[in-house]
This record gives sequence, structure tokens and C-alpha cells, in this order.
Amino acid sequence: MNRKIAAAVLAGVMAASALAGCGSAGAGGTAPASAAPEDTAAAETEESVAEETAGASADANSLTVWTWDPAFNIYAMKEAEKFYQKDHPDFKLNVVEVLSDDIETKITTAASSGDLSTLPDIFLMQDNSYQKYMTNFPEVFTDLTDSGIDFSKFGEGKRAYSTKDGKNYGVPFDNGAVIAAYRTDYLEQAGLSVDDFTDITWDQYIELGKKVKEATGNPLITSQSGSPDLIMEMLQSCGASLFKEDGTVNIVGNEQLLKALDYYRQMVEAGVLVEVTDWDQYIASIQNGTVSGVVNGCWIIGSITAATDQSGKWAITNMPRLDGVTGAVNYSNNGGSSWAVCTATKNKELAIDFLNGTFGSNVEFYEAILPSSGAIATYLPAGDSDVYSKPQDFFGGDAIYSKIIDFAGKVPSNITGAYYYDARDAVGVALSNVIQSGADLEAELQTAQDTVEFNMGG
Amino acid sequence: MTKGQKAAVYLFLIVISAVCVFPLYWMASSATNNSLDVVRGRMLPGLYLAENFRSILLQQDLFRALINSFRNAIVQTFLAMAVCSVAGYGFEIYHDRAKDALFSVLLLAMMLPFVAIMIPLFRMFSGWHMVNRYMAFVLPSVATPFLIMMFRQAARSFPVEIIEASRVDGLSETGIFLRMFVPTMKATYGAAVTVTFMNSWNSYMWPKVIFQDNNSTTMPMLVANLLGGYTVDYGMLMLGVLICTLPTAIIFFGLQKSFTNGIMGAVKG
Repeated sequence: MNRKIAAAVLAGVMAASALAGCGSAGAGGTAPASAAPEDTAAAETEESVAEETAGASADANSLTVWTWDPAFNIYAMKEAEKFYQKDHPDFKLNVVEVLSDDIETKITTAASSGDLSTLPDIFLMQDNSYQKYMTNFPEVFTDLTDSGIDFSKFGEGKRAYSTKDGKNYGVPFDNGAVIAAYRTDYLEQAGLSVDDFTDITWDQYIELGKKVKEATGNPLITSQSGSPDLIMEMLQSCGASLFKEDGTVNIVGNEQLLKALDYYRQMVEAGVLVEVTDWDQYIASIQNGTVSGVVNGCWIIGSITAATDQSGKWAITNMPRLDGVTGAVNYSNNGGSSWAVCTATKNKELAIDFLNGTFGSNVEFYEAILPSSGAIATYLPAGDSDVYSKPQDFFGGDAIYSKIIDFAGKVPSNITGAYYYDARDAVGVALSNVIQSGADLEAELQTAQDTVEFNMGG
Repeated sequence: MTKGQKAAVYLFLIVISAVCVFPLYWMASSATNNSLDVVRGRMLPGLYLAENFRSILLQQDLFRALINSFRNAIVQTFLAMAVCSVAGYGFEIYHDRAKDALFSVLLLAMMLPFVAIMIPLFRMFSGWHMVNRYMAFVLPSVATPFLIMMFRQAARSFPVEIIEASRVDGLSETGIFLRMFVPTMKATYGAAVTVTFMNSWNSYMWPKVIFQDNNSTTMPMLVANLLGGYTVDYGMLMLGVLICTLPTAIIFFGLQKSFTNGIMGAVKG
């Protein structure tokens, strides 16, 4: 008897939840293009109600933006609002703090349910995620190619992230150009200067690293264990990636990847590179002065300059290049992000005009946000400006910001691929197995390739 | 136990408690240091508490988040107490043939991880235009199988004689619940309040999904935001964590006695 009742209750619950599911799907504004007029009208009222609490701005003079980091992206957006208000006094920007991962989750949820009305007018997206989302949810991104924004003023490597089939879907913002920063006081102890580290190869880097290690006892570089950041940077410095042009996985037999991993292993064996357990330890090694240098995206400067007592003891130059690889240069990229305009926006012209008037063309704006946020532009003309050319005492009086914009312009573009993070994680696992437990490199790379291919198939 | 043995036991306990308390101490002392000192592993309290506080106020709407978190947690705790204690009492005291089957379904619901019901839940609430409303956060946790079970367990130890005597004396069923059951079960309520308040306060996943604007940010969301940047200010972060921890700590220590009694779940005397 009891069993029967339980079964009946369960069936009832399931039926009820199934009905609820259908109900909200109908109410969610998923009306297809061919839907009857009543349906479309219903969907529209639905949308306008949703806008009161979330999603794109309904008011003709305001825009909603999703971004993260109050000291950096949010600050930049709020300054952009002030700049744009000079010519458009009625303009209002509603900046919502949403973490990068959450923006991606929310786009996935909204696009999968076919209801874009909860999305904002403009959102920021990590460059490495762009290809994945443009491939999976092309309906979310507005084509900006003919919007009047001059994309040729941004570095080619940077632009490529948000470009698909020759069309631009993002306004490039912050810079991820790779820098190599060194503690000049430590280099001096080894009788070296930062010039010895400029335009060098990784072979030279390892030799110099041994000298520095001997003189100071400090490694030349630290790396977060299992994080393939450095490997990915090496790959991009020769225009390579973990994918081929047709989108297939390029891990096994990838000559550049093998070379990068080999250098990594050599550095660990020579004690030039020391692995640390996590990101906090990585930052600590820089700020504690237990490492003589850093190779990472230029946003790492914020963490370097936080150690105010090390002012004047740092210098910045370009990163080493892979020897004997065609197309290898001393420039690469790690991180960075670009602004996208969501197709669901009611104020498309305004959104584009706003981005064009600020992030897309305004050197003055880029000058204004640099000192407080350290947000380095990828807009190449900004590099010649006075603010960017100002000598920085922390880095021995070098005009590092102009230098970095110059670096950014020389970064080779590569193929990110829609499965960038899957491939990156798989290589990270391989790297950590090889370094930590001495696993066989070939076998590990085969496993990595299989993993990514499996993910792509599923 | 000889004196030596006793000393050894105490020494052991002191070491263990030091290990347990140390992270809390470090959190508190880090909140008074600047980022650089935290990274460099400074253990002693510093002089940067005011500055960390200023930076957090500058970056985040701290008071709004505190108010939101308190409102959400208090309303949820209050409603959950009202609903779950009645349910638990009813399940134990009244007899019905379908009761056990219903209770099994309830237990089944306890097995479901929250992520499994998150998407249907979101669609339901967005269908009712409750995105960004705090009731959308409160409602799904008003009746939890765990609390109902806890109150049912407590009601089991509630003497039937009291109920029968009260009925004979002409007290209504509601009266019995309110004037007999509730006062006797203070310890259980204390434990339930502690658990519910802490769960509600620390809840992260669901608010993250249902709250989409800055005005609904809760404390755990605020702490997560502090970690979102290229450069993390560890001093400020630790202060945020400290502020986020304090209310639950105060509630726990305040209700500690009834918490332990409530978990034991017995009516004494």
C-alpha cells in the first residue's frame, strides 16, 4: 500500500515539474520568428517586465554593462561614462559587477534558453573565451566590422581574439602583452644588466639564469605548479597554439610545444625555474624578493609595484624567444579582454557610439585611466601620448607603458580555438605529471590530445 | 590520572586547539595588515585596519551587502522555523497512513544536490518575475528535509502524556503546539536557528544565480568580488572575510549551549 502511494506521489511530482518546465519555457520569450503575432507581443511584454530588474537598459540614453574588478575594468568604464557625458549630458551607464566566470555562465544560461533579454547591452569577455562563445552562441555577439570603429589601430594579435571569419565582434581593451621583468639589483650581483636579457633566446636565458642563481641563490623565474601559462606564452611567441587552422587539436607532434616543454624542463633541472604551489605563493615570491624575475602578461605590474620598497629595483624588457623555430619573436600575450555589444540591446547605435568614442578612439581617455588603474591600452596611438611616455621611477625611470604598447603591436596572432581552455588544462596536467612525477612526455601528450578530442566529440 | 598524565593531556589539547584557532587568528590579524605584509607572512596585528576598511568601502557597497545578507538570513530563518517545526511536529504527533510515504519522498528530496534543481528553479522564479527579489532567495530553503527531520526527532522525545493532559484540559491543538511544545523545545530551536542562519548567510551558489544587480549583492558574493581582479589586495580581502565571518561566529557562540543540547535532542526532566 505504502509503495503505491509513494509511486503515485513521485509520479505526481515529476508531472508537476515537467509542466512547470514547459510553462516557463513558453513564458521565457522563445517565440520563433514564425510565431503568431499574439505570441510575439506576449514575449515583448515579458521582456519589458524583465528589464525592470535585470538585463539591457530600456531607456534610450542609458546602457547596462557587465564587468569585473573595481580597480580596473569597472573604474575604466566609469571614467568612460564621464568622458562620453561631456558630449552627451543625458547619457547614463549602469555598471554591474559580475565576475568573469559568471558572465560566461549567464551568457550560456540565457542563450541556451533562447531568452537574451536578461543580458546587458555591453559586457566584457576574456580574450581566450571569445572564440568559444562566438562559435557556440553567435546570436549573442553584434558584428562591429562596419560600425565605424577603426580596428586597424589595435594590435593584430589582440584583434584576432575577437575576430571570426574576418568579422570583428569585440572592442579590444586591456593589454596582455607579455613582459619580462627583472630585479636589477640581483642582476648586478651577477655582473649583468637588463640589456643582457633583451632580445635573447631561451638558451641564453637559461645560461644567464644559472649565473644569477650562483650569485644570488635566487631562481630567475617562478611558476605556479601545473599552470601552463609560460608554455602558452612560448607557443604564441611563434604564432603557434594547441589547434590547427581547421580547428583540430595540435598537441601530439607539435614541434613548438615540444620545444617549449623541453625548455621548461631544462629550467627546472637547472634550478633557474622554481615551481610554487599556488597563485598566492607566486605573487609572494615576487613581493618577497625570493625570485629575480617574472615573465607574464603586463597586468602583473600591479602586483610587482605593490611592493613599494622595491621601487627602482625593477626593469622591464621583452621575453626570450624560442631558438630555431620559424616565426619565433620576443613577444607574446597572456590574458586581456575585449568589450562585446549584445545583440539583445535596444540601444545598439548608442552602445557602439559610446565604445567608439571612448575605448575605440580616445587617447585622452586612455591617458586618464592609466595612472590610477594601470590599465594599459591596446589602442596603439595611445603609446605615443605624454602619459604613456612618462618615465616610471619604479622601473628605473623607463617609459614602460609606451614600451608595452610597442610590444603589444608585435605579438603574433594565433588560433585560440573554441576549446582553448580544455586544451590548456590538458597540457597543464601533462606538464605537471612530467615535472612532478617524471612521467613520459610523449605518452602524456598523447593523453592530453585524446582528452581534448574526447571533449570536442562530446 | 597522575599529575604527569594530566599535564600531558592538557599539553596535547593546548597544541590541538592552537592549531584549530590559528587560522582564525591569522585571519583577524591579517585584516589589520596591508597586502604586502600579509603576503610576506606577517603574523602580528598591524596598523592598517582603518586603511583596509577605507579601501573596501571605496570598492564595494559593504553596508548594502551586510543589510542584504542580514535581511535574507533573518527572514529565511524565521520562516524556516515556523514551517519546519510545525511540519516536524505534525509528522510525529498525528497519524495518517500516507505519512510515512510522504516522509520518504521528503528524504528523497534531501538526496538531490542543489545544482540538479538549480536550473528548473531559476526558470520558475524568472517566470514569476522574481529575479533580483530577495524572496526568491528565501523561498527555496524555507522547508528543508533536514530541519523537518530534526524537529520530528525532537517531537519524538516530547512526552505524549503532556499532549493528552492538555487535550483533557481543553487546550486546542494549536495551543498545545504553541504553549507546550515550543517552550519545551528551546534547545532544538536554538540549534535549528544556528544551522539555518549559517547556511543562509554562507549561501553562495543560489544568490549568484538569482541576484543579477549590484543592489542585491550578499556578503559572500562581495568577498568573491574582492578576488576578481588582476591584483588582489590581501589585507582588504582578509578584512572582508572577517566581516563576513563575524555574524555567524557571534550567533554560533551565543547559541552554542542550545546548539549542543539541540543536537542531542532530548527533553530533560
